[in-house]
Amino acid sequence: MFWRRRSGSDFRAEIEAHVQLEAERLKQEGLSDDDAQHAARRAFGNVTQAQERFYESRRGILSDTLRDVRFGLRMLARNPGLTVVAVLTLALGIGANTAIFSLLNAVLLRDLPVARPHELFLFGKGEWVGSQDTLPDRSWQLFSYPFFREFRAKNQVFSDVAAIDSITFRSHGSIGGDAGTEKIAVELVSGSFFKTVGVNALLGRVLTDADDRKPGAHPVAVASYAWWQRRFGRNPRIVGQTVTINSTVYNVVGVTPPEFFGVTVGQSPDVWIPLAMEKEISPGWNGLERDLFQSLYIIARRKPDVTLAEASSNTNLLFKQILYEYAGSKPSPKDVEDIQHALIELTPASKGLSQLRFKFESPLVVLMALVFLILLIACANVANLLLARATSRGREIAVRMSIGADRSRLVRQLFVENGLLGTIGAVMGTFVAWLASDVLVAAISPGSRPTIQVAPDLQVLAFTAGISILTVLLFGVAPAFHATRLKPASSLKDGRGAIGSASHGRLSRGLIVVQVALSLMLLLGAVLFLRSLVNLLHVDTGFDKQNVLLAGIDPGSVGYRVDARLATMMDQVEQRLRSVPGIRGASFVFSTFGGGWTDPVVVPGRPVSDHDPDVFQNIVGPDYFATMKIPVVLGRSLSPADTLASRKVAVITETMARIYFAGASPLGRTFSIPPNREWQNIEVVGVARDAKFMSLRQNPMPVAYYPRAQHPIYLYNLVVRYSGDPKAIIPAIRATIHSVDPNLPVSDIRPLSGEINGSVSNQRLVAQLSAVFGVLAAFLSCVGIYGVVSFGVTRRTNELGVRMALGAKRANVLWMVIGEASRLVLLGAAVGLVCAVACGRLAQVRSQLFGLASYDPLSIAVAVAAMAAVALFAAYLPARRATRIDPMVALRYE
Amino acid sequence: MSTRDENERLVLLQGTLDLLILRTLIFGPQHGQGIARSIQQTSEDELLVEHGALYPALQRLEDKGWIAAEWGTSQNNRKARFYTLTNAGREQLAAETNKWRRLAAAIGRVIGAEEG
Repeated sequence: MFWRRRSGSDFRAEIEAHVQLEAERLKQEGLSDDDAQHAARRAFGNVTQAQERFYESRRGILSDTLRDVRFGLRMLARNPGLTVVAVLTLALGIGANTAIFSLLNAVLLRDLPVARPHELFLFGKGEWVGSQDTLPDRSWQLFSYPFFREFRAKNQVFSDVAAIDSITFRSHGSIGGDAGTEKIAVELVSGSFFKTVGVNALLGRVLTDADDRKPGAHPVAVASYAWWQRRFGRNPRIVGQTVTINSTVYNVVGVTPPEFFGVTVGQSPDVWIPLAMEKEISPGWNGLERDLFQSLYIIARRKPDVTLAEASSNTNLLFKQILYEYAGSKPSPKDVEDIQHALIELTPASKGLSQLRFKFESPLVVLMALVFLILLIACANVANLLLARATSRGREIAVRMSIGADRSRLVRQLFVENGLLGTIGAVMGTFVAWLASDVLVAAISPGSRPTIQVAPDLQVLAFTAGISILTVLLFGVAPAFHATRLKPASSLKDGRGAIGSASHGRLSRGLIVVQVALSLMLLLGAVLFLRSLVNLLHVDTGFDKQNVLLAGIDPGSVGYRVDARLATMMDQVEQRLRSVPGIRGASFVFSTFGGGWTDPVVVPGRPVSDHDPDVFQNIVGPDYFATMKIPVVLGRSLSPADTLASRKVAVITETMARIYFAGASPLGRTFSIPPNREWQNIEVVGVARDAKFMSLRQNPMPVAYYPRAQHPIYLYNLVVRYSGDPKAIIPAIRATIHSVDPNLPVSDIRPLSGEINGSVSNQRLVAQLSAVFGVLAAFLSCVGIYGVVSFGVTRRTNELGVRMALGAKRANVLWMVIGEASRLVLLGAAVGLVCAVACGRLAQVRSQLFGLASYDPLSIAVAVAAMAAVALFAAYLPARRATRIDPMVALRYE
Repeated sequence: MSTRDENERLVLLQGTLDLLILRTLIFGPQHGQGIARSIQQTSEDELLVEHGALYPALQRLEDKGWIAAEWGTSQNNRKARFYTLTNAGREQLAAETNKWRRLAAAIGRVIGAEEG
């Protein structure tokens, strides 16, 4: 009924009919034809007004909006400079926010693409990687294969339970009959894995319980979609294909769907292989039958009718019950105490596991906050532009209001114009985000290949839409209401007053204060984060990271066993490398930086304390200390004379000496690693300077280095110190290794410094992006201050002219204009500093700082100076223009 | 033309025109001019209906669904738009009339009390 349109002509016809009827009646009363017509029309009153009112009532909101949109587009086109600046500003703001959010979404927020992800729980937080072989004595994260089997069989609260090796193996394998080997990322999982997470095969089949019964008996593999696509071009004949790893031949039985990347965000394996094949995939590090070889994550699907509390109490009951079995029939008091403190915390696993998350959670939250500040600054800028324009459109709006336009109608129309700006900004912003997200993914991916998908999903789109609406509201509301608050009479009288509208000035000056405050926060953040990064990169590592190359060697994959042949090969490689010109030293090593394992140690005659830190263990070649340039400050270094037959020795770090041999010289003293036969009665022969081992941030920790000859295991890393051009050295290293054994796979010869710099990639990301944001913020504020001061000068041309005519010097005028701007900047800077110092107390911010406090005076001074310089520059340009005003011209201007 | 000076007539209170239109239509379909005339006559020329204001009001009532309109032919064979009261309109009229009576009575009491 409301939309049944009645035409204007129909309405006119009705009015005409009325007039005729009335005229006829009047004629019957005795008037003449003409008089009757005339009187009837007079009685009717204003025909036009009636028609106006008819149109008014006919017009729907929809047609109004369409008209507003058309008008708005015309207004934007009429002022292209302003439109371009506003749209670009908004596009940068919205785009940067969308880009950071899509990364945050992929790393922190997105659910795993599996059935009912919210039923999945991880045992513990999933932060530990590797293996633990002590009885659990606190909140535990890694579990043994026997524990998994028993738990799965006895549990009542989970519909299924799966185990995943905490290490993804970078194995060397050959495909089909290929002669060469290539790197294949292998994830070992229990047969129940796919059933537990609820993923079916796209092609062939997935692993089942039948694939995980007898150790070594199930050489099958399931390929990931990404690998299938990359390596096989999606050839369906992959099913039945063979892959040879460490001389075991695996049959590919299926492919997973495209969206399933595993349960670890940012670390997608190429193939899944049953845990039963652990020894075949990882010959040097395994223990399927050992109760305390705890190396697995356990993920479980809670039954729908079981509460979380029930699940948790049942899990822990069973956990302790199984641990008591492991402790034996007569557990020691310490074992009992340990088990009492052992705990499994059920962690929601709907978003999967992720080492990326631990590394990038705080950085991403910090960046999200920074980029949101950018958006606020952008909004303030656009609001100021619109305020200035609204003032210059004062006449137009005054005219419209004085001929009867309704205020709400005008506000609506200004809103549509702002909405248009926002929409165009959002579309361009999405484009900016799309460009930026590739760069961002590359920045957080550990390898060369991007490991996460940031393709926009519903959450990202909703975020962009939300942020765009927020933007329009932020920049649009104040100017729209402001513009329509004019008094028509005074605005009509003069297009430009001698004195600017006071309230316009207040609002736009307030926006400048806000902008300066936000920009200062960003600048200070940028300075702090950059200096933290520099501090980290220049921190004393304890070794010389320059001119060292790392090479990866995988002897297990070409049939080496842990025996004399392996030792001979390593000796030969080290020896031959040392004689290559340009190579100063070479040594096999278990781990140079960023990994390792720990054990508790016992020193005879020293009481064991609960506060003793575990000792990091490293196994190295005889030349390691010389190659890494780690000074041995006491005693001797390791030597080729330390062999299987000789006395077991170790070189320990200063920190270990201080903690375990307090005060006295540790030389000649011994220590043991309790449960392990091979690691008893080890003599300390030297003390080395502390070196960073796990990360650059860590404090010095106890480390013990052992000669590789006395502890034969696979060592996958080789360090080489060189002088001269690394480009020539790299092929020489490869050739030398192949001269010992042409089949040995050598991969990834890379500089150690790169590895170390890569360990702070989160810091780097924050530092670089915050620097970009800081510059962007300063630039936007510069534009904003320039705009407001310049507008003020234009409006005050007359006043300034009078002042100069009365004798004000150019310098006076210059300083008057700059002085006014400076007051705003000072106020903004004060507000910004207070806010920045408050934000500096947040844990997320503190976690990104290194070697300085959030209130570091030098950084604050730098940021304030930069902000002041930018602000002065922005104010100086229009101020100089003010001094060029010719008093005569200015006065005549009125 | 009417015999009384226009200035002496009562100007309609806001909102009362709707009530009067609905009341007039209770006697059957009528066109705009007829409605205006009828209000003027039944009020014994006390009320002035500005014809120009009548039509937007009719349109408003039609939009609300209280009256329906159709083109037809008047007694003297002229084409005119005839308005009919709908059921919703009847209910509205009853409600409005009741409200108006209470208002008038209340005002009457206040004024009467002062006189007394």
